Amino acid sequence: MKGLLFAFLAGAFITIQGVANTRISVDIGTWPAAALTQFVGFVAAFVIWTMIRDGNRSQLAQVSPLYLSGGALAAIIIFANVTAIQKVGVTLSMAVVLIAQLLMTFLIDSFGWFGVKQKRMRLPQFIGIGLMIAGVVILKL
Amino acid sequence: MVLGLFLALIAGSLVGLQNVFNTKVNRHTGTWTTTTLVLGLGFAASFMIGMFADREGMTGFLPHMQTWFWFSGLIGVGVVTCMVQGMRLLGPTFAVAITMTSQLGLALLFDTRGWLGLQQVPFTLHQLIGVLVFVAGIFVFKLGGARERLKETVRRPGME
Repeated sequence: MKGLLFAFLAGAFITIQGVANTRISVDIGTWPAAALTQFVGFVAAFVIWTMIRDGNRSQLAQVSPLYLSGGALAAIIIFANVTAIQKVGVTLSMAVVLIAQLLMTFLIDSFGWFGVKQKRMRLPQFIGIGLMIAGVVILKL
Repeated sequence: MVLGLFLALIAGSLVGLQNVFNTKVNRHTGTWTTTTLVLGLGFAASFMIGMFADREGMTGFLPHMQTWFWFSGLIGVGVVTCMVQGMRLLGPTFAVAITMTSQLGLALLFDTRGWLGLQQVPFTLHQLIGVLVFVAGIFVFKLGGARERLKETVRRPGME
């Protein structure tokens, strides 16, 4: 039950964050909004890290620089997400984001890119994506 | 309309990619080390692009700030905390399915209420059915066929 609550809250926060970024962008611009909110998040995460210290630099040195740099993608993600919400609303943006996210995971898994263990997609995954796309079409009817 | 959908596709693809990269980092170190790195780099990249694309905004945003803008970045910390706990208690597959469902459900609530300055759209049966079909798709995708999932890590905070 507690697990359900946490998972539910995580999703709620993700949506609230997208809408808040969009609202802040109206007043100060999208790039300043992206920089500011991530700076505050970074400082908070850093403070938590100094208390927990669940990792260090030598551990990070073992990871390929490509994977370490993944965080930089957030700049484009936030910009694209905020602009999408401004143009088509939160529901449709979020639905398309989720489809693209699962499709990307699906591609990476199927081809075993980035050293991910290759997994064959089965019928349920195709049906699942199909239903999600159908849902978006119904949303727009 | 088309541009909005295209940008949402870009955002979602990059989220999928980033999740895979973050998972790789997370395998070698802890959640908060990963989160600090990810947010630090996200800030650095946004700052640099912003200085090129909107220097005026980047240097002159202070007078336009409302107090709550300063705290909005903390939502990302909430995302990570809840995601980690959700996955620990439910397992990654089920937790992610619930999270995605709540993302979309709340999105519909925000759109139909017009909260935070969003353009309010009237709630219709179409939308409810669309969201329900979509959510069914999430669960079929995630839980169907007992496929072994790659361990999904914390979502990139910031996207929200």
